[in-house]
Amino acid sequence: MKRLYVYPEKCTGCRECSLACSLTKFGECNPKKAAISVVRDEFNRYELPIICYQCDDPVCHKFCHQNAYFIKDGVVLHNEDKCVGCRLCAVLCPYNAITTLNSEIIKCDLCDGDPQCVKYCSTQAIQYLEETDELEKRRKKMAEHFLAINKK
Amino acid sequence: MYSKKLGIIDLSKKKIKITRTSEALQKQFLGGRGLNSYYLYKMIKTDIDPFSPENIIIFGTGLLTGTLVPNSSRFNVSAKSPETGILGDSNCGGYFAAELRYAGFDRLIIHGKAPKPSYLYVSDGNIEIKEAKDYWGMDTTNVQQSLRHDLGHVEAAVCGVAGEKLVRFACVRTGVKNAAGRCGLGAVMGSKNLKAIAAKGTQGIEIVHPEEMLETVQELKDYIMNSKIISILGSVGTPLLYEVSNTLGAIRTKNSQLNAWSESLNAEVIETYVEKMISCSSCIVHCRHRNKLGGEGPEYTAVGLLGANLGLDNTANVIELNNICNELGLDISSSGTILSWAFELYEKSIIDQTLTEEPLQFGDFDLVKRLLHKISRREGFGNILAESTSNIKRFGKTAEDYLIAVKGLPQSDPHDCRYIKAFALGIATSSRGADHLRSRPTLEIFLHLPEEVKERIYGKGIPNDPTSYVGKEKTVYFSDNIFAAIDSLGICKFICHGFNSPHFVDYTWMKKLIHCATGWTFNEKNIQEVGKRIIDIERMFNNREGITRKNDTLPKRYFDDPMPLNIAKGHHIDRKEFDTLLSRYYKLRSWTPDGLVKKERINELESLQ
Repeated sequence: MKRLYVYPEKCTGCRECSLACSLTKFGECNPKKAAISVVRDEFNRYELPIICYQCDDPVCHKFCHQNAYFIKDGVVLHNEDKCVGCRLCAVLCPYNAITTLNSEIIKCDLCDGDPQCVKYCSTQAIQYLEETDELEKRRKKMAEHFLAINKK
Repeated sequence: MYSKKLGIIDLSKKKIKITRTSEALQKQFLGGRGLNSYYLYKMIKTDIDPFSPENIIIFGTGLLTGTLVPNSSRFNVSAKSPETGILGDSNCGGYFAAELRYAGFDRLIIHGKAPKPSYLYVSDGNIEIKEAKDYWGMDTTNVQQSLRHDLGHVEAAVCGVAGEKLVRFACVRTGVKNAAGRCGLGAVMGSKNLKAIAAKGTQGIEIVHPEEMLETVQELKDYIMNSKIISILGSVGTPLLYEVSNTLGAIRTKNSQLNAWSESLNAEVIETYVEKMISCSSCIVHCRHRNKLGGEGPEYTAVGLLGANLGLDNTANVIELNNICNELGLDISSSGTILSWAFELYEKSIIDQTLTEEPLQFGDFDLVKRLLHKISRREGFGNILAESTSNIKRFGKTAEDYLIAVKGLPQSDPHDCRYIKAFALGIATSSRGADHLRSRPTLEIFLHLPEEVKERIYGKGIPNDPTSYVGKEKTVYFSDNIFAAIDSLGICKFICHGFNSPHFVDYTWMKKLIHCATGWTFNEKNIQEVGKRIIDIERMFNNREGITRKNDTLPKRYFDDPMPLNIAKGHHIDRKEFDTLLSRYYKLRSWTPDGLVKKERINELESLQ
């Protein structure tokens, strides 16, 4: 299946991805209300897009006591009608990939196979590619690296 | 609602009023620089001291700032300038402006003076005046990091030590190097005991036609990304302009005694110091260099004015000076110009060691470094240099002949304007003094651009010869108007039609972008009218402060000393030709022959509510 892959070395921090996401989903420009966020700090010199990896065995899905998550064609989807806004999924996600704002849960759904973040990124820092062993290896390495940083 | 709030803060009385700018007024001036200039004209009394509590400092975001619109990161800081005594205004990128809008505000108007060091914390519709005792004395990076440590991930606009010490060319800074650099606005912050404005918010900008914006931006992005100049800017940034000007023989060197300098400051050399190119908010160009020496930059201005103009050719030295100015909160353009002026005056024995404390000379990196620190803390000779161009009074009348400034503002453009006549008219008439970002018709530098391309932009009857005076009023008039409009939309000039390229965001694109964001129906002419209105109200402000035709002039050297090197050799500005060019420009603007905005126009603009 096709997945989102990030290339932090290409990310310039502009947040067009987040803005395109919030505009598509909510009709507003708001980088804090998007399923993709860019963690950036110009003083400590990093830019890192945070995306949902659509895990094979996702904790958001596994631990949701309202069964508000389901998996369709490999994409982990969130059912707003069942959600009570407890934010457990956001707390548990090891990749910080679920955004919460007030009581809203914002979860990447890959825009039905046409992710807007990819479309509006001007440096190909986010790409939507058919999964390969090599890409997966790179992704897992990055994920582990991220988990290590996150634990600190 | 698309628009956000207007906060009016009285630091003396600690009073905060939260209101809104009427939609009718927004349609007249759009936002950013336009509305800032309107409020300055309305709220500042004539002849006040820029350092008095009566001065007002405005932080205003553009109409489209913080949206998906490419390069919509910008805001303007405006006040009466302590460097020039006339309109002070500076445009800035980074992340602060977008965050201010997400925090619920389009604009903050600040007056009075806080009794002790303070900062403003703006978050989700609220404004608090907070104590800044612990932040006072910090450099610009340190204060921003401390604010983040204390408040979470805020974006802040701050002044450095130079601002606190009232250096007349102290800048307002945000991030590592983004600056509202010109006109000494950081010193206005300092005079108000205002160290910083920190913003943090989660309130989105509601777009009236979201799908239309997604489509329009996609089209615009494809159009811009296909351009050659944008990919070059994205890989080497503005230093690319250095070589263009240098080949021509138009790089200000050693206070314009020379007009060409070392290739060691070419973009390809600067590039070897780049770690990564990064962006401002919403920017698709990414021209900011994160350098390997711990800072960001240098821009073309720093390369020219801290390099060639000071007689320095070591690339690493120039980058280090750039980083120092940013940390201290000094405007690079004024710093490089004022220092080179002092160096030449010393060489010519117009000033001596009784004033300067030590010998001054070009090409001395340690001297420059030392002086920058002394200026920022107003120590010794630094205390004198901190007074900027007003030192004419101290250094004597002859000193004025060697000063590269207009209306008291040191020239920002490292480009020597004796060759390209339109550039000369631009800096002579710009509303804040010698500055290229108000009206520089950069296309004049591209000597081989087909005549019909220029005609399509500027109108007929403009010879494709940068040294000709014919028709050049039209190129400046066009640029003045469209740059005022783009500044008011909050979009970076790098994607403005006619700035770096004959393409990009023109009035038609602006019309479309305004419509998708706000739902307002503008036509091309309406937006051009906004630009003209802004130029006129800024001129009204300056006329009120005594600016007339006599002030729309150039450094003496531009008239009287022919350029010594390269293609530009022998060129200078002819006084008579310049004078008639100026008259033609006034006529286009419908100003009086003495450069005043006419009574009827004043009445019209004053009656706007």
